[in-house]
Amino acid sequence: MSIALTCQGLARSFGGVQAVKGVSLSLPAGQVTALVGPNGAGKTTVFNLITGNLRADAGQASLHGKPIMGLKPWQVARAGVARSFQDLRLFQHMTVRDNVLAATEPSGWFWQPGGAASRAARLARAEAAMEAAGIAGVADARAVDLAYAERKFLSMARILAAEANVWLLDEPASGLDLSSRTRFQDLLKAARAQGVAICLIEHNLDVVMALADRIAFLDRGEVLAEGEPQAIMRDPKLAAIYFGDRK
Amino acid sequence: MIAYLSNIATLAAIFGLLAATLNFMVGQAGIFSVAHAVFMGLGAYSGAQVALLLVPDPFLACLAAAVVAGGLSLCLALPALRVRGEYFVAASLGLQMMAVTLFTEAKGLTGGMGGLVGIPQPRIFGVVVPVLPLALVALVVFLLLMAAMQRGSFGRTLGAIRDAESAAEALGKNVAVAKALAVAFSAAGAGVAGALFALHLSFVNVESFTLEQSVLIMAMLIVGGTGTLLGPILGAVLLLSLPAALSFITFIPPTDIGSVQQIIYGGAMALLMIFRPAGLLGDQKRGRSEA
Repeated sequence: MSIALTCQGLARSFGGVQAVKGVSLSLPAGQVTALVGPNGAGKTTVFNLITGNLRADAGQASLHGKPIMGLKPWQVARAGVARSFQDLRLFQHMTVRDNVLAATEPSGWFWQPGGAASRAARLARAEAAMEAAGIAGVADARAVDLAYAERKFLSMARILAAEANVWLLDEPASGLDLSSRTRFQDLLKAARAQGVAICLIEHNLDVVMALADRIAFLDRGEVLAEGEPQAIMRDPKLAAIYFGDRK
Repeated sequence: MIAYLSNIATLAAIFGLLAATLNFMVGQAGIFSVAHAVFMGLGAYSGAQVALLLVPDPFLACLAAAVVAGGLSLCLALPALRVRGEYFVAASLGLQMMAVTLFTEAKGLTGGMGGLVGIPQPRIFGVVVPVLPLALVALVVFLLLMAAMQRGSFGRTLGAIRDAESAAEALGKNVAVAKALAVAFSAAGAGVAGALFALHLSFVNVESFTLEQSVLIMAMLIVGGTGTLLGPILGAVLLLSLPAALSFITFIPPTDIGSVQQIIYGGAMALLMIFRPAGLLGDQKRGRSEA
């Protein structure tokens, strides 16, 4: 089992508030790691530190052994880390196909390298990602016109099309009904089987238990526990913190 | 009468190019700038100097204008593009104010307040050519380029940046480079329009490149519809032909035409924002606020 992404001693404070205090985490390839904890625990901040959206006060992160701390978000993405956002951040006025195609075109220049063959390959990647996410039927609709679940799956299709080997997913299953949730879980299981390292922030414990190989429990910016899902979820102290019943 | 209409048509083509290239920045990339007249001015002075000091070749004048306006826009845009949204509007406003002062003071290059006079008429192989066909060709060329980019990966990159900049970055897009390229292309187009403007009037001074001019170009864009290819052209034609149309209404005294024009502008803008908030040709879903 190879480790795809590791971070050590990540720290970040905002004014007087220490949002993340020395978080260390390893994401093995082909496994789902759930980042669990109450609201305000610092889970999204950890994602932002890894992806370069926030500068860390201290700590290191590396992807397949290469340091990524200090890189800009687009450099981290090109290195192979894809992320989703809690508020999705779709390209609202673009079609579903263009949203997904955009994920296959990292260059910010007037053109993409590779000519016609590369263009055809990118289109095929986008079509395959839409098919896998179950949104091929709405490919020509604009993102702003999609139903809630379709928006969620569009967000996942962009990640699929990006062909990253580390996925950081911020509450990707929130608000999905049972059948959509099952589809979503199948999507993640398929990616895991292909060796993608997935880190999942999720409040729905059913989803966590169905998918996670490991859980890291975060509270007040610290990893309180890390291990097998069953062991973590059985810990009465962690349950009390999670459900707001801390003494 | 033909000369009068030809003058209006030439100005409509030049301002259509200005509005269309501003649209590339605003409608495609979501970069709101109120300094488009600065790039028009840079192009106008460059084109005028080429015609005055070298040859009145319109292609050379336009090329020089595009290079100077596009190149300088990069120097100005790279630091300014670090800020987002309304902060860039403020930065561009500062640039606009600063540029007017520089245009006024750099007398050796711009002629100061007096401007550059006696700019020779454009000639191709020694034959004098009117600016109207040149302006129409420039407009069509830029529209074709913009349409091609809009349909391609660069258009998607700009659309992604406009709709969700952080998500575009998370997909590996170098947002700073894409924005700088969009600004440089847009400024180069404004520079070409400026050079044609200088060749058309045979005279330029700083009065044509003030904040008022930038706001007029923005108004053309808003009236026609941002994010559309032909909306800015329609806006330019409407806003330029309104004063001409008013002058044909006999019961308005010539001295009052300016005031009537302002009232019509104000009323039309208010009605437009109520009934077609995304402009005449714009995507109305984008204009309305989303619940």
